[in-house]
Amino acid sequence: MKPWRYPARWALFKMDDRLLLMFIGAIVGTCSGIAALALNHSLHFLLEALSHWRQHWWAFVLPAAGAALSSLFLEKIVKEGAGHGVPEVIYSVSRYGGLIRLRSAFSRLISSCLTIGSGGSAGPEAPVVMSGSAIGSNIARFFSLNDRQRVTLVGCGAAGAISSIFNAPISGIVFTIEVILGEWTALNIIPIAIAAVAGTEISRALQGDQIVFSPQVFDIGMGDIFASIGLAVFTAIASIALTHGLRSMHQISGKVKAPLWIRAGIGGSCVGIIGLFLPVVLGEGYHFVHTMIEGNFTPGLAFVAVACMAKILATSLTLGWGGSGGIFAPCLVIGSLTGLTYHRMLSAIWPSVNWVNEGCYALLGMAGLISGMLQAPLTGIFLIVEITGGYAVILPLIIVSAISATLCHYIEPSSFYLKELVDRGHLLRPGTDARVLSDLSIKELLETDCVCVNQNMPIREFIKIVENSRRNYFPVEDDATGEFVGMLHLDDIRPYLFNRMLYDAVLVGQIMNPNVETVLPDDDLTEILHKMDSQRLFSIPVVVNNRFVGMISKATLLDKYRKELMVQTTS
Amino acid sequence: MKLTIDEVAECLDVPSSTVERWIRQGRIPVSKSSGACFFQKSILYVWAKKHNLPFTLPEEKITQIDEKKSDSLCNVMSFGGVYHNIRGNNVDEVLASSVKNIAFLDEDGQQMLLTKLLEREEMASTGIGKGIAIPHPRMPMDETMEEPVITTCFLEHPVDFNAVDGLAVFVLFILLSPSVKIHLYLLSKLAFCARDASFVEFLKQGPDEKALLERVERLEKSL
Amino acid sequence: MIPRILHIFQNTPLGRESLLQAAYFSKQLEASLIVYIPQHIKFLMYFDNDVVQIDLDPSYLYSPDTAKDHAAEIIKEAGVEPLFLEPKHFTASSLPDIPADFDYMVCPRSISDLSAKIGFGYVGAKVRNIFNAARFPVLIPSYVYKPWKNIVVFYGGSANASNALKLGFQIRKETRFPLNLFTYAEKAPGDYRKEIINMGLEDDLNRQVDNWRIFESGNLVDNLYHVPHDALVILGAFAHGLLRNIMFGSKLEKIQAALANNLLVVGPKYSAPI
Repeated sequence: MKPWRYPARWALFKMDDRLLLMFIGAIVGTCSGIAALALNHSLHFLLEALSHWRQHWWAFVLPAAGAALSSLFLEKIVKEGAGHGVPEVIYSVSRYGGLIRLRSAFSRLISSCLTIGSGGSAGPEAPVVMSGSAIGSNIARFFSLNDRQRVTLVGCGAAGAISSIFNAPISGIVFTIEVILGEWTALNIIPIAIAAVAGTEISRALQGDQIVFSPQVFDIGMGDIFASIGLAVFTAIASIALTHGLRSMHQISGKVKAPLWIRAGIGGSCVGIIGLFLPVVLGEGYHFVHTMIEGNFTPGLAFVAVACMAKILATSLTLGWGGSGGIFAPCLVIGSLTGLTYHRMLSAIWPSVNWVNEGCYALLGMAGLISGMLQAPLTGIFLIVEITGGYAVILPLIIVSAISATLCHYIEPSSFYLKELVDRGHLLRPGTDARVLSDLSIKELLETDCVCVNQNMPIREFIKIVENSRRNYFPVEDDATGEFVGMLHLDDIRPYLFNRMLYDAVLVGQIMNPNVETVLPDDDLTEILHKMDSQRLFSIPVVVNNRFVGMISKATLLDKYRKELMVQTTS
Repeated sequence: MKLTIDEVAECLDVPSSTVERWIRQGRIPVSKSSGACFFQKSILYVWAKKHNLPFTLPEEKITQIDEKKSDSLCNVMSFGGVYHNIRGNNVDEVLASSVKNIAFLDEDGQQMLLTKLLEREEMASTGIGKGIAIPHPRMPMDETMEEPVITTCFLEHPVDFNAVDGLAVFVLFILLSPSVKIHLYLLSKLAFCARDASFVEFLKQGPDEKALLERVERLEKSL
Repeated sequence: MIPRILHIFQNTPLGRESLLQAAYFSKQLEASLIVYIPQHIKFLMYFDNDVVQIDLDPSYLYSPDTAKDHAAEIIKEAGVEPLFLEPKHFTASSLPDIPADFDYMVCPRSISDLSAKIGFGYVGAKVRNIFNAARFPVLIPSYVYKPWKNIVVFYGGSANASNALKLGFQIRKETRFPLNLFTYAEKAPGDYRKEIINMGLEDDLNRQVDNWRIFESGNLVDNLYHVPHDALVILGAFAHGLLRNIMFGSKLEKIQAALANNLLVVGPKYSAPI
């Protein structure tokens, strides 16, 4: 027992574990900030190293090779699945108190670096969130912290990573609360804020206090605010298109009978071919976002619209076919392209109106797409405000974000990150019914005070047992084998109760109900409840190996459920 | 005061596996030393109050259970005593002479009890059949009484008690108890004994106190 | 509750021996045997404060269509009802989560290697991870199915050894097989007895232990010859510090390397029910 491994037992932290979480949260924020910077720098390095090859006609194999390598790395070396990892983080937070494998702390960094650095259309943010969260989780594990503390530290890791990569502390906090944890409590907010500050600070210390996109001055008129409602519709359409594109590409690639890395290679080479004609689709694409915001993106309406669709396609190809990376950066590119398209359409239809600079629409488009894809309007608003360093666009920003998120929610009830989890019933946000039910196990609800009766027992004997029992249900067993054969309810003997003649003539086995629904101790409580509801049962026996183990009844469930809910919701 | 997991589970009325899970999830304040978990009672009490959970210490529970426990029929009967040859020709008379045998009541108390017993008889006969009656007041005796008492009175001649089966009653079990719960408990035990035909035959012989109590004890064991 | 045993089935002759052993074990303990037939090459086990990823050997996925029948046949023959585990939760689409709340787990010395690669006395790193994280004891079956008829507990005086001892008492109660206690003395033999008495296990010690052999001299490995060939050997795995993930502790490492018996290993997270 080394005392430094158990900081939760130090006198200082025994007073209030918030102090402990703040202390460790700062460490986690710093570590995940460094991870984010490492990815950022290696991406830049790789982009520059490969840049002189991009001129050649065969440059389309670069993204193919990158995607194939990243898939090989994930599958063979670290033995993890493809994907960007955010659903995995949310899953582990939902179900396992934020336990994440140590290897996740670096696996996605390397694989996404290979994919994006070689030109694949994906973003580095989700991999960074995954590795930040994994760092938080493993630090918590090292110090033997409990689930609640570990979840907070996972949040700290995610906040630190986002804060560091965008130099945007508020976005880090908001993203964590809105997307990763789904809960805003007095206990977790301070450590997460501290981690976000630590992440930002480390990024500023190591690469200078630079705002991702240089701030612009926009003169926004009344007309622009109304026009932004239309833009929200467009961004919502683009988000839905991207969501569907990703999903259908995933399904198509699933049908191809080839090893995963070859699939990733096929997707990558398609992206490479598109990239030969439209270089805007390649890589994370921040460079183009930059020019668009500054208003220096010269091509015309048709080109921008095609580029927008091409980027959606390229992103779907990269991620759907097995490349590694997130959707954050592509969202920003697609968003700004959508914004630009919309602005040029407006200018073409009403040339006389004095619209604000197109850069502003690019910003609004980005916010709209982020809000739409993640269905997290606050993240969209704060991210754009912070990465552009300007507060001037806040009004249309709020409108676009809110409307885009709502429209997307209307068409796709669950966001891109959560879709898979919701479909499999794995999204367990704190304080919800699903959460409480998943925490309660059969073992905790089992009532074992039932008196078992024998199937060859005459009613006379049974009535004696009834006199001394407190339950209405009696499991019936076989005398010889002890196997469960059926249930007997007190109601079943009512017709014989006042007819003493039958006391010895009728056996328990004759009046019991032999076809009872039973459940196994491993069954999910949700399933059991569904079974009870559909059959209108009040209680149901748990049988394993043909042996009766206990009863589950709704009365006990209510009692335990209520206690659990009270424990979980008040903090 | 330190509590273990099992004690806490008992206090909160949840299974100990739930408490273990709460510890793992960090929902309950716990202290750990060298691998074992324990709880501070005062901290836990505050925690339970904050979450609106019931929190009763096991000792408190034990006393509650103690209340419910009652003495055996045999003890209760020996406390009340067994009396033979009670005189009287109708219900009022036998009850009046029986009540005089209840030693722990003074004369006023005996008079009051008699009124109560008669009130109860007016509502419905306490003759439960087979020549046995169990006179008792409708409401439990006043709070001064702590222990239940059964006074057994064998009558000189059987008396018509308006019993359910119309048979004349030859023995009275006057049942006095401090609470309804104990009353019902003793009543059911008495009724159980009365169902035994051989016991009733035995009663008809008017056995002395020692033999009666022995027999009751045996019957009670078979319950 | 009836104890539950997890077994990961390998549809090969080698896997059959393991399953036979698992079925025998569950029969003796009157436990229910839950068999997982892998559908994916890897799976996760979430323990209290750890998550272990287990990457299986491709041989675990051989002929999946016959696996269930083979497994059911073997288990039924042993007189146990076959139960199969269908993973309900998936961390990723090809990465199922296997529950970790079992009472025992049967696990070969090395999960990820073919028989040809298994060296004697070698225990794979994944299996060690399971020992360290699990709240349940792990049964390492002998290579070939061998019913055991008595129990041997190695008691060396550490906290884990006492857990092993308690587990031994429990299995002895269930199975009624004779229980032998082996101690390789490093201090005065009387001290060991005092320790056990201090733990409040004197009664069990007197009633349940049929023979207590304390070796005061001789090489540990030489003395291991006295372990009956048909014994289930129960030992505690505990080592300190960084070595924990690689080694059990030198003595236990030697024991497991020298014995071909069925081993029941108690990890540091195991808490005995008594």
